[in-house]
Amino acid sequence: MVNTEKAIPVGPTRHRSRWTSRQLVVVVMIVGFSVIMLLPFFWMITTALKTNNGIYHLPPQFIPHSFDLANFGAGMRAVHFSRLFINTAIIAALSTIGSVASSMFVGYGLSRIRFPGRKIWFYVFVGSMMLPGIVSLIPMFRLYLSIGWYNTWLPLIVPAWFGNPFFIFLARQYYFSVPRSLDEAAKLDGAGHFTILTRIMIPMTRPVWITMAIFSFQGAWNDYLQPLVYLYSQPKWTLSLGMASFSGIYNTPWNEYMATDLIYMLPPLMIFFVAQKYFMQGLGSLGSASLR
Amino acid sequence: MVQHPVRHKRHRNHDALIGYLFILPSLIGLGVFVLYPLVTSVYYGLTAWNGVSTPVFVGLQNYVYLFVHDIAFWPSLKATGLFVLMSVPSSLILGLALAMLLNRKLRGIRVFRTIFYLPVVLPSIATLTLWKFIYDPKFGFANEVLRALHLPTSMWLGSYTMALPAIVIIGLWGVGGTMIIFLAGLQSVPQELYEAARLDGGGDFAIFRRLTLPLISPILFLLLVMGIIGSMQAFNQPAVLTSGGPGFSTNLFMYSIYENAFQNQQFGLAEAQVWVLFIAIIIITIFTFRLSSMWVYTENDSE
Repeated sequence: MVNTEKAIPVGPTRHRSRWTSRQLVVVVMIVGFSVIMLLPFFWMITTALKTNNGIYHLPPQFIPHSFDLANFGAGMRAVHFSRLFINTAIIAALSTIGSVASSMFVGYGLSRIRFPGRKIWFYVFVGSMMLPGIVSLIPMFRLYLSIGWYNTWLPLIVPAWFGNPFFIFLARQYYFSVPRSLDEAAKLDGAGHFTILTRIMIPMTRPVWITMAIFSFQGAWNDYLQPLVYLYSQPKWTLSLGMASFSGIYNTPWNEYMATDLIYMLPPLMIFFVAQKYFMQGLGSLGSASLR
Repeated sequence: MVQHPVRHKRHRNHDALIGYLFILPSLIGLGVFVLYPLVTSVYYGLTAWNGVSTPVFVGLQNYVYLFVHDIAFWPSLKATGLFVLMSVPSSLILGLALAMLLNRKLRGIRVFRTIFYLPVVLPSIATLTLWKFIYDPKFGFANEVLRALHLPTSMWLGSYTMALPAIVIIGLWGVGGTMIIFLAGLQSVPQELYEAARLDGGGDFAIFRRLTLPLISPILFLLLVMGIIGSMQAFNQPAVLTSGGPGFSTNLFMYSIYENAFQNQQFGLAEAQVWVLFIAIIIITIFTFRLSSMWVYTENDSE
C-alpha cells in the first residue's frame, strides 16, 4: 500500500532505439540540471583537497593545482571531531531507539486494540504535529533548567521516548495492512497483545520501522536549534554545533572546514545510499495520505 | 460473533485498560511536551524574566513593546514574509517542473532522481557552511561563475539586497524533497488517463492544465501548507550565515525569537513573539485551507 516502488505504472512500451528531438531536449535539460546540482559538491570536494595557498588563490581555482590531504586531520582536530562524533552518535542512537519503540507500541494500541476513544486520541496525536516546536521551546527550557537537565543530553533524548506523532501515523497505517487472521490465530494460542506486537507485528512491518529509524536518526544528526539551546559546555556538544562554530572563526581555513564537513555528511549519505527505497516509501506514504 | 453478554462486557473493559496502557507513552508525551508548554507559554508571554529569575506578571507590556517600540519586530516580520513569498512558490514550481521532467521511462533515470535528491539528505549545517564559502565574495564559487560569465559580482550574504535571495537559493538546492513528493503523486496518476487524453487530441499544455494539475492538486496543497509553515519557522540560515544582517534583511522571526530569549535573556518578550508567530501561522494556514476549496480537486465530492 505504502510501497511506491510497486505503484510505479510501467508506461506503454516506447521506442527505445530512436530518440526524438523532443526526448533529446529532455535529456539535455535533465543532465544540465544534474550538473548544477552537483557543482556545489564538486566545489566542496576540491576545496577540501586544496592547500592553504590554493584556497586563497585569485582567481579561485576550480580544479586545484596541488593537493593536501592533511586538511582532514587538521580540521577534525580543530573541532574535536571524534568526541563530538561520539556524542552525536549516542544522542542519535538513543533518541532513535526511543522514538521507534514507543511509536510502534502506541501505533499498535491505536490499530489493534478496540477501546473507546481510540479514534479521537489518534486525531489528537496527529493534530499535535501541527503545533510548531517553537511554542514549547521556552517553557521546556525553563522546566529542564529547574530539574537540572540543562547542559545535559536528556532534553534531546527523553522526549523521543514518548511517541512521535508522524511515526505513530505511519505505524498505524502499516499495521492495518497486516491480516487480522494472524493475530486471531495467535490469540487462540494464548498470546497476549505484547507477544503479538513483538512476535508478529514487528517482524512483519520491517519496512516501516526501518523508515522511522532512518528519519529519526537523520533528524537527530541534523538537529541544530535544540543542541544550541540546551548544550552549553563544549565537551557535550553535537557535531552540528561544532561545525557551525567553525565558521565563527575569523579567517576561516576553508579547506580544513570543507574536509571536516565532508566527514560530517558521510553517515547520513551512507544511510541514504544503503536504504534509498525506505526514504521513498516514507515520502510515498505522505503522498498517499494526502490523496486519501 | 455471539458471545455471552457479561463476558463480552468484561472483555471490553479489559481491552480498554490494555488499550490505554498501550497509548500511555503518547498520553504522557502529550501532557508534558505539548499541553504543559502550550498553557504555560501563554502565561510566560505576559511576564518579564531573564531565565534565572522568577517570571513577573506584566500584562500585555511585551506585546505593546513589540508592536510599538521594538525596532527589530517589523523588519523581522517583513524579512520572514519576503522569505516565505520567495522560497515557497519557487520551490513548488521548480519541484513540479523537475518531477515532470523526471517522470518518464528512460535508461538511468533513477541515477538522476538520486542526484536531485542528494542535497536533501545532507545535514542542514553542512549545507549552510558549504554555501557560506560558495558565497564568499573574494574566494567563493558564486562570484567565480559570475566573473567567468562576465556578469557583475555580488557581496551575497554581505549585501543588503542579495542576502535574503541568497538564502532562498540555498533552499532551492534542496528542491529534490519537493520534487520526490510530486513525483510520487505523478506516478499515481493512471497512465490510461493520459492515453485517453492524447487520443482525444489534447496538447501538452491542455493535458497539464486539465488533467495533471487537478489530479496532483491535493499534493500541491499539502506541499504549499507544509512549505509555508516550514519557511515561517526557518532558523538555521540566519543563525549560521548572517546573524540576521546586514541590517535586519535576514532577521527571520525564529532567529529574532532565539536572540531575544537566549542572547538578550528577555524570555517573556521572546515568548510573546512566539505567540505572534504562532497566531500568524494559524491565520495563514486557515486562509490557505479556505482558498483550497477553490482549486484542490477531490476525487469523491459526495464524501
